[in-house]
Amino acid sequence: MIKQLNFGQYRHKNSLIHLLDPRVKILSVLFLSILIFTISGYEILIFTIFVIILLILSKIDLMNLVFNLKVFYSFMLFMLIMYLLFARNQIQDGLLVIWRFFMVILLSYVLTYSTTLSMLIAAVEKLAIPLSLFGVKPRNIGVLISATIRFIPVMFVNASRAKDAINSRLGSFKEVKTVKIFMVLLLERMLKSASNLADAMYSRLYNEDAKSSLALSMGKYDYISVTSILILALILIIY
Amino acid sequence: MIEVNNVSFKYEDEIVLKNISLKIKEGSFTAVIGSNGCGKTTLAKHLNGILTPAKGDVIVDGFSTKHSSFETRKRVGFVFQNFEDQLVYSIADEDVAFGLENLGIGADEIKRTVNETLRSLKIENLQKRNVNTISQGQKQLVALAGVLAMNPKYIVFDEPTTMLDVKNKKNILKMIYDLNKKNNIAIVLVTNVLDDLKYADRIVLMKEGRVIFNDKKLALKKRLLQEAGLID
Repeated sequence: MIKQLNFGQYRHKNSLIHLLDPRVKILSVLFLSILIFTISGYEILIFTIFVIILLILSKIDLMNLVFNLKVFYSFMLFMLIMYLLFARNQIQDGLLVIWRFFMVILLSYVLTYSTTLSMLIAAVEKLAIPLSLFGVKPRNIGVLISATIRFIPVMFVNASRAKDAINSRLGSFKEVKTVKIFMVLLLERMLKSASNLADAMYSRLYNEDAKSSLALSMGKYDYISVTSILILALILIIY
Repeated sequence: MIEVNNVSFKYEDEIVLKNISLKIKEGSFTAVIGSNGCGKTTLAKHLNGILTPAKGDVIVDGFSTKHSSFETRKRVGFVFQNFEDQLVYSIADEDVAFGLENLGIGADEIKRTVNETLRSLKIENLQKRNVNTISQGQKQLVALAGVLAMNPKYIVFDEPTTMLDVKNKKNILKMIYDLNKKNNIAIVLVTNVLDDLKYADRIVLMKEGRVIFNDKKLALKKRLLQEAGLID
């Protein structure tokens, strides 16, 4: 259970990816996530190799990664079963969609593994500046994203506690009623945590007009990264 | 000084606080004690304006929590009972910086203040740690650092010892005492554990939304603790 808590969480490592400007990382993840859905065939293989290189450069423990992603395996299996049941003649397309989905998860994992929440907020604040023209406060978006990531482990802990509480009183998860109770219990606890967080943020003078104290600047590795991604895109498109 | 004047509060139809008045002086150490559900936490949340009274008012150094909540929250820090939920960021030093960012302080000063605060609580080693991977006692210290960094004049601790083991309980109580004596920060300690009263000068005893005792610790009688349901 505790190992699951690593999903989506930052780890302090001295890696090249950790050093990159968070804006570059966010935009790269967005760009690559779109790119993966525009390519097929052998191009996917090249893309996969590129993602593996990113994982290695981020110094991610690959064994832990396999374990930490286990929450997604059942979802991917479900997608596969749906294809098998309702679109058997399109099974190849189905596998491709699942693989693309998996690549997007890996890219997001690299982003959250190598970027602290305050860095993410600082980057989102900068990238979302144009939205302020429409009255949207960039800091609100940044804090919303960071709170979501911050609360992934809290959700696992709450889920574990709710499950233990039900199991200790001989509840059976084979019954729909028990699953419903579990969901309500989990939702209730998550709402309570969210309410506590809101109180804590208010108490600590949360100010949607405040700016992140982190100064962001592009370095040579950022330019190399952007160039590498553009070259990859060019190769895949020409290929 | 924090002045609570004839405060009443209700959640929907349930009246939780009934006409409460008390004063928290600068540099004092006050314990708010009572059995579960007597309204302690609700009262505590009124002290810095997280909740505002339905009737009466709370004045912090001349600022009303109803009308100048920014000023009152700046002066009164709050360490929540469930400190896990109090941490906004996942890296310790970034979380400590959160309140300072909201105050609009410059990056260099934030860095200096964060380092100083972590050092003062002897948790510099947690600076770059992910708060999801540290112990409950350490999480509480990070939550406290986030409040202390904002340099409050008063700090409210809501049942700070509930989720801790004996050793950590002792440490946090000693730390709260030091904050009061060495840093001259007024402390409001909300608790239902009599052992936590060790360092308090003044006791506010609550029962069913009312204050039934508000005086120096030595004046507290056993009969009142029995009446409040804290001892047999």
